Amino acid sequence: MKLQWRLAALKNGFREATAYRIEFLFEIVGSAFVPAATQFVLWYALFQTGGASQIAGLSYSEMLHYTFVSLLFSQVRGGDHDFELQEMIRSGQLSNSLLRPVGVVEFIYLRGVAPRLFIAAFCLALGMIFSIYLGFSPMRLLGAMFLALIGNIIHYQIGAALSTTAFLWEEAYSILMVKNMIVNLLSGELIPLNLFPSSLQWIWKSTPFYLYVYGPTQYALGRWTHSEYLLQLGIAMIWIMAASLAIHLTWRLGMKRYLSLGG
Amino acid sequence: MNLHHYIQVYAVQIKNNFVREAVYRTNFLTALTVDIIWIGVEISLFSVLYSNTTTLAGWTQAQAYFFLGIFFASDALFTVFFQRNFWNFSDLVNKGELDILLTKPIHPLFLALTRSINITSVFNIFLGLGITAHFAHDAGFKGGMHWFGVGFWLLIGLLSATLLRFTFSIWVFWTDRSWALSRLYYQFFSFATKPDTLYPKAIRYLILSVLPFAFIGSVPARALLYGLSLNEYFLVFFVLISFFMINSFLWKFGLKKYQSASS
Repeated sequence: MKLQWRLAALKNGFREATAYRIEFLFEIVGSAFVPAATQFVLWYALFQTGGASQIAGLSYSEMLHYTFVSLLFSQVRGGDHDFELQEMIRSGQLSNSLLRPVGVVEFIYLRGVAPRLFIAAFCLALGMIFSIYLGFSPMRLLGAMFLALIGNIIHYQIGAALSTTAFLWEEAYSILMVKNMIVNLLSGELIPLNLFPSSLQWIWKSTPFYLYVYGPTQYALGRWTHSEYLLQLGIAMIWIMAASLAIHLTWRLGMKRYLSLGG
Repeated sequence: MNLHHYIQVYAVQIKNNFVREAVYRTNFLTALTVDIIWIGVEISLFSVLYSNTTTLAGWTQAQAYFFLGIFFASDALFTVFFQRNFWNFSDLVNKGELDILLTKPIHPLFLALTRSINITSVFNIFLGLGITAHFAHDAGFKGGMHWFGVGFWLLIGLLSATLLRFTFSIWVFWTDRSWALSRLYYQFFSFATKPDTLYPKAIRYLILSVLPFAFIGSVPARALLYGLSLNEYFLVFFVLISFFMINSFLWKFGLKKYQSASS
């Protein structure tokens, strides 16, 4: 039973996401092409137009490698299922889920993560093919994708904890949007995080967001040693435990306030 | 119906929106926070880049911030008057809500695009203008009478964003949902967040013609700082007129395709 409902939730989530195939395709293409083009443009302006030879110790081709590889992982980190949670709390739809013999936070995650797993597999295959040409290890790519998937879990967990603010206020949409904007910058999907001035490096190091894109990219490109990777994996596990605790506490407090009439 | 009636209807819409915003006061604060964080993230991105270089494709840091100020103000204008209406546009067609608008003795598109006004974002117009004014001197903006030009170019930015968003939304008459296309619009919108001279020729051509996202902030900022050539003025005029004509055609064609409530 335990595994059955989880598989059913995954299947259901995948079907829902791909029911509108053109939309699904647009989403993948849009979310992949434009951030890559934006990054490429910055490197082009700095290196080709500006004539720089190195920035933060990285050459033009190294920046382009970063852009391409980070793209594979930024496709995995997303997902808006935390928004679904806040909407359920706000609208009172949560009541229906509470009647079911499954955990609502996990159920929504599994349904939302299904298309991401498909995209992750696709990106992994794509990365494997290109690794031959770009000269990085396929095994490292596999490890990096694992870290990116761990990042996906942390991302959702933080969102699930933040969504409980909908129990207190009218909605949690704005706070989740703020989280996503900060993640955009601090995950390394816009720029490599080593571009931050050394006095500001502590900002991204003190959040788990760098584990979503920057960390996996560093490992895939061979800029992290295996022991550094294992250390970061350990840090990711600590974040997962801390976020689980946050979910447990916030949902327990939130449920005490829930009125089932729109939260 | 003459212009006077349109103004009267619009005055009623503004009044209704004021009442709505007064009811959801928390929403005002949260929306404001989201926008301030977004502006903060964009400024941080440029700050990190400029910590590694002095100019970016000929733009100094002050000029880049001047551009951001213009861009934020222009985008805030769009948010105030049109953003919510475009988000609701899909439902108008899918759920058949357009039926009601078609029966009114006023242009249905006018009603569709003016129903919701986001009064909260008025603050962001001033925030954008504040950033522009703060960096104007260092950026080399001549000031004086040229401030009137800011108003003109902000209107060009508003018009461009509206025409572009309409082009991305109108396909809902032919597709089942326009959610992915709306998302695609916001993916391409990130091209507008950087000065157009940063882009390689192909992308620059694209955002100055087929997808004129550069007209939202970049071209206005360039026009205010350096002035435009006659060809560039003609380009802006020609592209906007073309978009208006294409949109008018698509709207008429879309209405023929519309199948009322069952659409």
